[in-house]
Amino acid sequence: MVHALSEVRRVLAPDGILIDLRPLTGSWPVEVASRREAKEAGRVNDMPIGLEDDQAANQSMAQAAEQKWFLREREEFFPFFYYWDSPSEMQQYIEEEWEDWATVNDDVWKNIRAMWAVADADARLRVGIRMMITRWKKQN
Amino acid sequence: MTLQRDPERTETKYLLKFADFTGRRVLEIGCGDGRLTWQYAKSTRFVAGIDLEAGELRVATIDRPSDSPVAFARADSIHLPFSKETFDLAILAWSF
Repeated sequence: MVHALSEVRRVLAPDGILIDLRPLTGSWPVEVASRREAKEAGRVNDMPIGLEDDQAANQSMAQAAEQKWFLREREEFFPFFYYWDSPSEMQQYIEEEWEDWATVNDDVWKNIRAMWAVADADARLRVGIRMMITRWKKQN
Repeated sequence: MTLQRDPERTETKYLLKFADFTGRRVLEIGCGDGRLTWQYAKSTRFVAGIDLEAGELRVATIDRPSDSPVAFARADSIHLPFSKETFDLAILAWSF
């Protein structure tokens, strides 16, 4: 990953900007959400590969800063929501697309289905991923 | 399946808050199907979107408007196929 940052630095003009935009692991909440309310039904479990990726990315950026390739100017966190229309669609997606990143325990699925059964008519299911965005300036 | 990703467009709002794209030469690493690219591309001078996933790039290319200043290519971030100092702005988009 440090090699990639070295390459980014090479192709950036003097005073160029690097935006690092990525999701962070961290037991994302699963919610039943309607216009009226959002209720947490449980949390996803982080998988080891996701945790390792976060750590490796953070280390690479720290190394790039130490070498004075980039200067961190600004950083913020925000939620990025995935929405589904039913528990079965959500389960299929998570099991197929997120198998390396996150799992949901059986008791959480049971809770999701129980809450879904009595949810508002306009309710949907959502997972709120924690995102990080950082602005780095190329050091000349 | 009726999946919706970020219908609130929070990601775009933060991206536009963190970077001024007007007239910029932009490299997006990990552009995928161009989901994020189309949110900012219009005001740029040009965008080069790279990704390793050929299938995603096919979708991005199909979706590209004919007058768009965007080009997509299959490339690896550790061997960027560009000359030095080509871009004003680079985005690592979910790609670490």
